Amino acid sequence: MTIRTRLTLWYAGILFFSLLLITGLSYHKFHQRPEEGIDSDEDFQEVAGIVVWCGVPAALLGLIGGWWLMRKALAPVTALTEATELIHEHNLQKQLPRTFSGDELDRLTEVFNAMTARLDNSFQRIREFTLHASHELKTPLTVLHGQLETALRDETCIPEQRELMFSQLEEVQRLTRIVDGLTLLAKADSGQIVLSKTPVRFDELVREAYADALVLAQPQQIRVTLNKLDKATVLGDRDRLRQLLLNLTDNAIKYNQPGGQVTFDLCTEEKYAQLVIANAGAGIAPELLPRVFDPFFRGDTAHNSGTEGCGLGLSIARWIVTAHGGDIRIASVLEKQTVVAIHLPRHLSHN
Amino acid sequence: MRVLVVEDEKKTASFIRRALSAEGFAADVCCNGDDALVAASITPFDALVLDIMLPGRDGLSVLRRLREQKITTPVLLLSARGHVNERIDGLNAGADDYLPKPFVLAELIARVRALGRRNHESKSASLRVADLTLDTVTRQARRRDAVFELTAREYRLLEFLMRSAGRICGRMAILEKVWDYNFDPGTNLVDVYIMRLREKIDARFEPRLLHTVRNIGYVLKEQP
Repeated sequence: MTIRTRLTLWYAGILFFSLLLITGLSYHKFHQRPEEGIDSDEDFQEVAGIVVWCGVPAALLGLIGGWWLMRKALAPVTALTEATELIHEHNLQKQLPRTFSGDELDRLTEVFNAMTARLDNSFQRIREFTLHASHELKTPLTVLHGQLETALRDETCIPEQRELMFSQLEEVQRLTRIVDGLTLLAKADSGQIVLSKTPVRFDELVREAYADALVLAQPQQIRVTLNKLDKATVLGDRDRLRQLLLNLTDNAIKYNQPGGQVTFDLCTEEKYAQLVIANAGAGIAPELLPRVFDPFFRGDTAHNSGTEGCGLGLSIARWIVTAHGGDIRIASVLEKQTVVAIHLPRHLSHN
Repeated sequence: MRVLVVEDEKKTASFIRRALSAEGFAADVCCNGDDALVAASITPFDALVLDIMLPGRDGLSVLRRLREQKITTPVLLLSARGHVNERIDGLNAGADDYLPKPFVLAELIARVRALGRRNHESKSASLRVADLTLDTVTRQARRRDAVFELTAREYRLLEFLMRSAGRICGRMAILEKVWDYNFDPGTNLVDVYIMRLREKIDARFEPRLLHTVRNIGYVLKEQP
């Protein structure tokens, strides 16, 4: 029940109760003076009649008036709610409009604005921290990699040492990929990446991804098929779109099973191009699905212990899709298949 | 070949210098932009390895000033940011190549060597390494009597490897030159393509030409 309904009902209730009280009091009054020879019952009935005939409409009027009064009183709260609904992590610097009337609601708005400003500040700090941290990590990683490579050039090392250094080199490379991914996401998050958008033939990029998939799938005997390839042009950053497609293609093969399959479907709708990439494999549990786009999310590691990545692939994919005004969705059936669908707005030429 | 390394981070400068020396280059090191500008103006270096982030005058400004002075020494830019825009800025400022940090040392050496050779490289129609030839017009590869049909991607990969014969090609360099990816996609795309190429041109022949340099990349050469 809304505050408005509740207050209106209270209002009408109090009105009705006061009427009952008046009726009760007058009944009492008339019965106190029976010696004056007046037929008090008759008089009382007259009064009661007046109370009923005027009281009920008065109560109804109270109900309607109350409803209107409450709306007027609560209007600033409604406005505040609507404005608050539009706030999310990327527009925290936006302030709610104030009335400057100095009343309780204006005070509430002021306090709320101060709170979002503090939140904005801490979000900003987290972003800057991630960016600085990933940047600072690059120099030591360069040194580590360079020194390991230099050490490996020494032919006199014993095989055990070489093996150790190769394994370290591999870890340094993995760290490097994580740091690169983090830098990209941190920059994207703080709006520092400007996409250079041009009309791009998305179907050509999909065909290229399909060709790469054919090759990537070969060692595991995975069957790759291109079911449909509608011609579609999107306004986008060619490099980023290729990164997106390679990312999804790679996932479709990494999380597959030997002898499994991958299918590509590119269809066009009136305003959108829709690409669906489906792959066989262990799938993702329904309760984990909402989290697959989170950074460093790992599904059932028991199934994928042999596959490695930086754990940021899908986060990056989601960023690329949303930066192009599209959306990405994922669905999965355990032990059967996983389907990734992306929608991108089509670029429709004017001629 | 004489190379000037401009890098303020001492450890990085030191391993670059050592690696270049080990490869037979004469390497000098400067640790700030102003010294680098003076050194590059007086000494005719064959190549410059220039870090963008430097104390005082930064790498891009050194580069612009050199080009204003009509000094055309090939420049390889190094950057810790690895941002596409920065790469474009660098190339616009007159850089010949660009390598984001952290980089693979073998990659840096291969690129420096390529810079030195850039002017002497012949763009002949036919490439040859041992008994393997690649016709850049018909896009056919031949080894002894066998002729191989190559897909577009395989052709570009083989062409790149043959043009860099004898030099180690890092995974990033291959991704960049053959796929035009300037990010590490974290897939084994290169390895799988190399495997296919090896099956075609190398598996049935002796000696093997396409060698793996573990965790670094690949090299096409006659001796192992």
